[in-house]
Amino acid sequence: MADVRDIMELERPSTPEVTRDMIMGHDKVKKKTSTGPKVPRRPEGMHREVFALLYNDNKDAPPLFPSDTIGNNGYKQTKIKLGMRKPRKWMWMPFTNPARTDNATFHHWRRPSDEPKEYPFAKFNKKVDIPKYTDVEYQQHLKCDRWSKEETDHLMELAERFDLRFIIMADRYNSEKFSKRSVEDLKQRYYKICGILAKMSGEKRIYTYDADHERRRKEQLKKLYQRKPEQIEEEQFLISELKKIEARKKERERKTQDLQKLISQADSQNDTPRRSDKKITKKKITNLNRPSRVDTNHILQSIESAGIKFPDYKNSGVSLRSQRMKLPANVGQKKSKGVEQILQEMDLELNPTPSEEICQHFNELRSDMVLLMEIKSALGTCEYELQSLRHQYEAVNPGKTLSIPPQLMPNTTEVEAKINTSEIIDVVGSPETQSNI
Amino acid sequence: MSLPTDFGPDSGGRMKGIVIVKPIVYGNIARYFGKKREEDGHTHQWTVYVKPYNNEDMSTYVKKVQFKLHESYANQNRIVVKPPYELSETGWGEFEIVIKIYFHDPNERPVTMYHILKLFHSGSTQDIGIEQSKGLVSESYDEIIFQDPTQLMHHLLTNTKQLSLGNWEHNTNFEEKKEKTLKTILEAKQKVRSEIANLKNKLKLAKETISSFKEEIAKCQENQFVI
Repeated sequence: MADVRDIMELERPSTPEVTRDMIMGHDKVKKKTSTGPKVPRRPEGMHREVFALLYNDNKDAPPLFPSDTIGNNGYKQTKIKLGMRKPRKWMWMPFTNPARTDNATFHHWRRPSDEPKEYPFAKFNKKVDIPKYTDVEYQQHLKCDRWSKEETDHLMELAERFDLRFIIMADRYNSEKFSKRSVEDLKQRYYKICGILAKMSGEKRIYTYDADHERRRKEQLKKLYQRKPEQIEEEQFLISELKKIEARKKERERKTQDLQKLISQADSQNDTPRRSDKKITKKKITNLNRPSRVDTNHILQSIESAGIKFPDYKNSGVSLRSQRMKLPANVGQKKSKGVEQILQEMDLELNPTPSEEICQHFNELRSDMVLLMEIKSALGTCEYELQSLRHQYEAVNPGKTLSIPPQLMPNTTEVEAKINTSEIIDVVGSPETQSNI
Repeated sequence: MSLPTDFGPDSGGRMKGIVIVKPIVYGNIARYFGKKREEDGHTHQWTVYVKPYNNEDMSTYVKKVQFKLHESYANQNRIVVKPPYELSETGWGEFEIVIKIYFHDPNERPVTMYHILKLFHSGSTQDIGIEQSKGLVSESYDEIIFQDPTQLMHHLLTNTKQLSLGNWEHNTNFEEKKEKTLKTILEAKQKVRSEIANLKNKLKLAKETISSFKEEIAKCQENQFVI
């Protein structure tokens, strides 16, 4: 139970479990559980299993195994028994190193029981095989303008003596007798000789030493090593500048590309006469939206070409036929709603199946519908103006009136009549007040 | 592949003046389980599809079709790379599926269509859905127009193969529908045109009357002034 609660990280239940004792009223038991030492909480991060080893449900001592060795100091044997054999002897004994040529004798500690062996470190004294040449060989193959036979002999002797440690060889070089030679010079001469001799003995793989390369490499390293802090700083600065320049260059290239794209887009738009069209239609629309009260002449003219101007779709690329049936953005919401209403009244689909023919006729139809709406509103304006003119006339010439042609009387339909009468009432007042003044 | 090369430097590799139209049909069929599935509440199995209207293999020029489902579906964007371009799923609700067709030539921009997944009969007469033995069908006709296609695209578009040897039929008889629609549109156009003519005459009359009224008033005012 406690384990489960630990997992869920719950406290012990506040209401103790109902037992027979509680019911019987034994307070003692209850008290004992509540006053007992509080269960220590598991420290953060301690594994549940580890904690359970320390504390279990009964909070008893950790399990211990009984042992019978407690009386004897806790050890099974009081005194440790070490090796029974006699210790072997170590002796100060002389030895010779076969790697040495002078037969010098040294001493070291050794067990006499061990058989005398060859000095074990002698095998690490490796000797380099320095090629030898005879006078004849030298005369035939090894002659060199810059090296005399004597100097070459000296070089080979040093090589033998210092086991090809060229740095030391250069240091110990007899510069009094011969001219000063660099490490590269020595190496070049030595390996040249090695190569020629190996070739003569029929060796296939000949190694060559590129002294110039080595010189250049050392030169470079030297320069790198001898840089001053200011120079290092300058280099860092230059590198960061270079990075900046490259970033700027990239940015510039990107911008010119964008510009190029824009130019080409503008060019392709100029190909179609859309731009000029747009201007004209816009002008027309503004005229239509604000029909002048005084002068209705222009209404008739402009209305001739009203309607929806669908874009030409001459641009290259892929498109859907149904897109061409979308009303252009310059058609206002009022107009598009009106078109929608008329379409519904005529029981037509709002989005008919877009074949080429249907698309064309559907667009024309909707353009006509807009035109129709424009004419209707223009007519309304005219009717209104007629009415107001008549009232004006009546005011000037009391008792007389002008006759409006019957087909232009607004009360052709009830709804229209209602709207117009309300407007008329409003207008009636104005001419009279005018006359009063 | 010998292609004409007289496009001019500004054509951008496009064949000016050439228009290729590829009619397509897209939509969905849906079948009711008969009950609500208990584990996820789904009620319908549906298949959304794009297919050529004519009997031809679209894969010649279509690279892939992407169906964008409702965001509640795992892997909202499903891509179909070869025909049949269709996708079957189960669900309980209707939503808008965005269908995007990509073409083999990356210079041709993909086209996007929107289809409202239909599972239920709405009962309206405008409804495109047709009840058949297959279940509910809601599909639309459209035409992809390739204006001045690129050389590559032109080649692909004009070299399509037949998809199947048998009859190529659709759930909806679009030919009949087109004919009917065209007829009603033409009729409506006639009606609107005649009304326009009528109103134009009226407007003309109104204009004339207005000018005559104005003259009358001007005359009267002159008289008044004289008196």
